[in-house]
Amino acid sequence: MAEQSSLASRRSSSRAKRKPKKNQIPIGVLMVAIIIAIGIYLGTQSGKLLLFWATGIAFGVILQKGRFCFTASMRDPYLTGSTSITRAVLVAFAIATLGFAAIKYGYQSMGIPMPGMSYVAPVSLGTIFGAFIFGIGMVIAGGCASGTLMRVGEGFHMQLLSLLFFIIGSLWGAHDFGWWKLNVISKGKAIFLPDVFGWAGAIIVQLLIIGLLYVAAEKYEEKRKAK
Amino acid sequence: MNEVVIDCLGEACPVPLVKAQNKLNEMSVGDILIVQIDHSCAMKNVPEWARNDGHNVEVEEVDDGEWEVIIEKSK
Repeated sequence: MAEQSSLASRRSSSRAKRKPKKNQIPIGVLMVAIIIAIGIYLGTQSGKLLLFWATGIAFGVILQKGRFCFTASMRDPYLTGSTSITRAVLVAFAIATLGFAAIKYGYQSMGIPMPGMSYVAPVSLGTIFGAFIFGIGMVIAGGCASGTLMRVGEGFHMQLLSLLFFIIGSLWGAHDFGWWKLNVISKGKAIFLPDVFGWAGAIIVQLLIIGLLYVAAEKYEEKRKAK
Repeated sequence: MNEVVIDCLGEACPVPLVKAQNKLNEMSVGDILIVQIDHSCAMKNVPEWARNDGHNVEVEEVDDGEWEVIIEKSK
């Protein structure tokens, strides 16, 4: 740390002392109180709304405090050679795999229709094309969907613009989705891994792929660092 | 010893990083680069890149949500 503190003191440009920072704790306490108040109100309306409220807030806090960024996970390996966020996303995928499998398997074993099966969508050329343009868009906009929302909340003005066009783009996409579904997406085949490999097999295959990607990411970072 | 300040206030994530990378390439060993940022994401990837590259790095929060990343080119 001694070396680091000397760095700031060695800088030649002297700056006028900034005004003292505003104490943000009262605002924070107020926000928590408002969040709890809204939560109590939603709880009286329906338990589901309260759950959405709580998970939404929790997701936002984790995203902001963890500096978790799906854009960076795809961009930084190329730009900086760092795969720390890429690996964090892979870990998140692995945890989500177990969670989703547990929920779906639980429903199936009770004989109730599994939730979220409408997201088992066909794989088609549209998947590749859509992923490609989404990738370009999120790097230019400086964030994917969740990242943009999080940064607007942080008060980064430029991304209000991203949010605006994100909404316009989503509406446009929803407007034309029928055509895409009819002409492109429905041409593909929907694959639900447990149908192919069985439940245990599906979990093993998916975790294995995630594990291999994790190792690859680590090797890639080592290689870039050595360069 | 030169000192260069680049102002990246209001610029979103990859821009401060790319600007810092390009600027640092033009500088010589021992020079100090100060990157001013207010995008919290750049607060992570700029120091991370510079540290991985082997430079001395320090981050200072100069105001609420405004940071200066001080990089000393060490190689």
